[in-house]
Amino acid sequence: MKGTAVNGRPFRYIKVASMSDKSPTPSSQPGGVIPFWRDIRVIGVLAQIGFLIFIVFFVGYICNNVAANIGRLGEAQFQCRDGTSSFRCAFDFLSLQSQFDIGEVSFIEYSSRDSYGDALRVGVLNTIKVSVWGIIAATLLGLVAGIARLSNNWLINNVAKWYVDLMRNTPLLVLLFFLAFGVVAGFPNIRDAIQPFGLPVFLSQRGVNIPGPVFMPSFSTWLAFLVLGLVQAQVLWVILGRQEERTGKESNRAFWAVVSFLIIIAAGWYVAGNSAENQGIMVPHALRVQNFGDLETLMANRLPVRSLGELDMALRDGSVTQDQLDEVAFRICAVRDSRSEVNLTSQLRDANIPYQVSRFRQQAQATDAYADGNCDILVANRVILAAERDGLDAPRDHLIVPVVEAPIRLSFPRIEGLNFVGGILMTPQFFTMFVGLSLYTGGFIAEIVRAGIQSVPKGQTEAARALGLSETQQLRLVVLPQALRVIIPPLTSQYLNLTKNSSLAIAVAYPDLWAVAFTTLNQSGRAFQVFVIVMGAYLLLSLIISALLNWYNQRMALVER
Amino acid sequence: MATLYETLQTRFSGQSIRFNPNNWLRENVTRSYWLTAWLVLIGYISGSISWSQLQNAPVQASIILGVWVLTVGYTAVASINRRHSPMTLWLKDNLYSSITNALLTLVLTLLIFSGLRAFIIYAFIAGSFSANPEVARQAAAEGGARWGAVIANMRSLMLFRFPRAETWRVWAALILIGGLTLPSLVIYRGETYRRTRIRTALTIAWLISPIIIFILLLGVRGSELIPRVNPEQAWGGLLLTMAISIFAIVASFPLGLLLALGRRSQIRGIPGWVIWPVAIGLTAWGLLTSTPDNLAAARNTLEQALSYWPLTILIFAYFFQRNFKGNVVALASTVYIESVRGVPLITVLFMSIILFPLFLPAGFEIVNTWRVMVAFALFAAAYLAENVRGGLQAIPNGQYEAADALGLSTYKKYTLIILPQALRLVIPAIVGQFIALFKDTSLVSIVGLFDLLGAANLISAQPDWLGVRREPYIFIAIIYFVGCAIMAGYSRRLEKRLGVGER
Repeated sequence: MKGTAVNGRPFRYIKVASMSDKSPTPSSQPGGVIPFWRDIRVIGVLAQIGFLIFIVFFVGYICNNVAANIGRLGEAQFQCRDGTSSFRCAFDFLSLQSQFDIGEVSFIEYSSRDSYGDALRVGVLNTIKVSVWGIIAATLLGLVAGIARLSNNWLINNVAKWYVDLMRNTPLLVLLFFLAFGVVAGFPNIRDAIQPFGLPVFLSQRGVNIPGPVFMPSFSTWLAFLVLGLVQAQVLWVILGRQEERTGKESNRAFWAVVSFLIIIAAGWYVAGNSAENQGIMVPHALRVQNFGDLETLMANRLPVRSLGELDMALRDGSVTQDQLDEVAFRICAVRDSRSEVNLTSQLRDANIPYQVSRFRQQAQATDAYADGNCDILVANRVILAAERDGLDAPRDHLIVPVVEAPIRLSFPRIEGLNFVGGILMTPQFFTMFVGLSLYTGGFIAEIVRAGIQSVPKGQTEAARALGLSETQQLRLVVLPQALRVIIPPLTSQYLNLTKNSSLAIAVAYPDLWAVAFTTLNQSGRAFQVFVIVMGAYLLLSLIISALLNWYNQRMALVER
Repeated sequence: MATLYETLQTRFSGQSIRFNPNNWLRENVTRSYWLTAWLVLIGYISGSISWSQLQNAPVQASIILGVWVLTVGYTAVASINRRHSPMTLWLKDNLYSSITNALLTLVLTLLIFSGLRAFIIYAFIAGSFSANPEVARQAAAEGGARWGAVIANMRSLMLFRFPRAETWRVWAALILIGGLTLPSLVIYRGETYRRTRIRTALTIAWLISPIIIFILLLGVRGSELIPRVNPEQAWGGLLLTMAISIFAIVASFPLGLLLALGRRSQIRGIPGWVIWPVAIGLTAWGLLTSTPDNLAAARNTLEQALSYWPLTILIFAYFFQRNFKGNVVALASTVYIESVRGVPLITVLFMSIILFPLFLPAGFEIVNTWRVMVAFALFAAAYLAENVRGGLQAIPNGQYEAADALGLSTYKKYTLIILPQALRLVIPAIVGQFIALFKDTSLVSIVGLFDLLGAANLISAQPDWLGVRREPYIFIAIIYFVGCAIMAGYSRRLEKRLGVGER
């Protein structure tokens, strides 16, 4: 940016001496020349040469020892696949079979027959998973606690203060051990699973089951609409903003941007759900079901009610009994935890149609059960259904009916027999790490948030109020931008700490990067290589996080003049 | 609403009450949709929590509810009346400033009450303090705590397996510390003893006391009076925790200082006309000698790419020139600080256990305890260096220039002018760092040493106290909490005395 003209002359920025301890270079004194042994330039170079020699010797000494020690360890460390041994093959062990199982594998497939490299990849993904969830939860918790610290309610203030003090003054590892062995280990059997506050969340020895979204194939279509909606909202925002500037009239642009966004994603939802031809059900011809609506009519005919909407009332006044319902309910065969099942059952629930689901591990088993007449409905992908129908005895007796799919369906956990169906399972180890890390880091973030908000002078709020800004505007336009500037740098280091602290997972048997690497180290005996990989991976993670937040910080930073 | 207004008027007749219920309603309920929704939510939550608490503990919960209703009513009447007693004023300002606040107060009170009640039942009413495992087992059957596990293992938690006959040495060390602390309280305070010999003597005593304590606790080989103990077995519990943290604090300080000064050093670097020819020469040499062989032996694209490694010398030289201006000291310090800060402590500790022996000549063995202590000191130094650097950066350039103008040598410039000011600025940060270090000592329990946490972990494996986990953890959490709180409190006092942020 160029300096603005003052008095017709562009002024130049005065270069301010940087705040550093630059030793002044000795200028040649009038009295004579400084002897070279007191010349700071010569001393500096000499000191550096000495330092360099020291470093080289030190590192050389260590390398020498390492080489000798590794030589003693044997050539197995550097064995190639053809049996020879070379430094080139130091990392070849990564493609060997790992031969150990990992308790929690997310995002990718892994078994003990896969390689060490795959195992480490699982570890990295687990670290990223727990760090990301931990960062999100810790930020929310810290935000709430930090604002509570500023509350004028004495009690809230003090509760937040005690929380912060407790977290800052006790070690994370003690907290983790306490959670793992004192809390999570005390979770009841699956039959007596705790449901806190009646929410669809179950705490049991298997872990914690929470509701979760199920993404249908048509989600990608909807995603395109989502992006379109965002772009459109942004464009509208900018256009209306320009118009506001031009005309000087307020046009409520936030409202219009949101409304246009909502309209587009709603249209997208409809289009994506109806254009998708993935989901279907297979029913016997005899049922005479042509589309999803026929299921409703069929069920309404089976029950002594006028419409299914009255089912609940009928159940309550006794005109329909539960046994009756169980008898006429549609029996559905599905593959366990398949998207098609979630899609169909949630629609059946919405339409108030009673149903029972038999879940199978594989599609073939489900089809067999259907063929044996154990089910009225077989639910799956339509392509699969078509293939399965061809394998049946009389393909023409069965009809494939398309089912509308929604881009996302919420799936709730339910206890069925000795297992949970639906929802998302957090393993006890993940739950311990997640809760421990977010509680601990939340305490630190709370202090950062408090300091950040307090750093905004009161005059700023008062000035904003004097300008007639509403309370949200005060917060959004005046307080938060200034507070964020103070908050972000220490927040970065807290996020980094959380990521590094996730390496304590080894204490509670959560298979994060370090836990997997340690097993790899013990199994393969390649101590050096494993340490190089692990440290490199953590350095890279730290680098990525700090680069991201530095970028954000630069955007938020005060534009100094 | 006017009727309510009138009733209030007649109720407190004789007073001109300027309470306007409409205004009050607008301020507390209908100001914005969010507020109304929030109120409904809070109302629902407080109602359901009160209901559940009334069923759990009817007497206590109704007392709390009654007191809440009474105080709210009292405060409301006082507010309407505009005649506050000190109590109602405090209540109005701090607990019942609005309806939401009053409801939140109730919710929190009930929640705290139920938590405290559960804890007191667990810890005291149903819990047992008997060190007899049989008695404790009965308490556990009723869901109570078995504090006996902690009491019976107190020695193990404090000293672990320090030889019983040598316990006096620990006491002697404690007495030494106490004996130094007591006069310090007088001598370091105020101006009376400034620049006296007794103060110098005390400072020297403080400086050498860690060495004396160290010798006392470790013993001397072949000595009758204080026989040598093996730290790997004898040191444990709180003793080990303290030993590691004190050693790390003491040892990391000079190292961290040096690293900070090194990172900020501005000595004339190696000039570009030296670096570039050397770098280009090395690169050419590497490309000519090693690359062809490596390329020939490469098995995949990655190795082919890696064969051109000499090119990294050029990249390195570029960054060395650009970011460090050829300063080797700054480069080495920065690389050390950043790489240590980038990796988790636990990997550094495992490295000290697994990898460290490889760094030493064959046949040279070092006890695990020492290795871990050194690892802690090296780790802490990197963090400390960053804190000190922050302080150094805050010192205005004029201070350096003034010291130079006075003709002070570099050493005197730093010890007399720069460091006293810089360190005073970063005391809070350094103490925070020491607190973190003290907490982090618990990590040694993962690498197989038995510090406070390691000793607590062992309790649950004893046949008498099988599976007792919570009580030892709560106990050591209290110890850590008190230790950290003392440090934080001392830092606050020191800050005040040195006038951070005032001068």
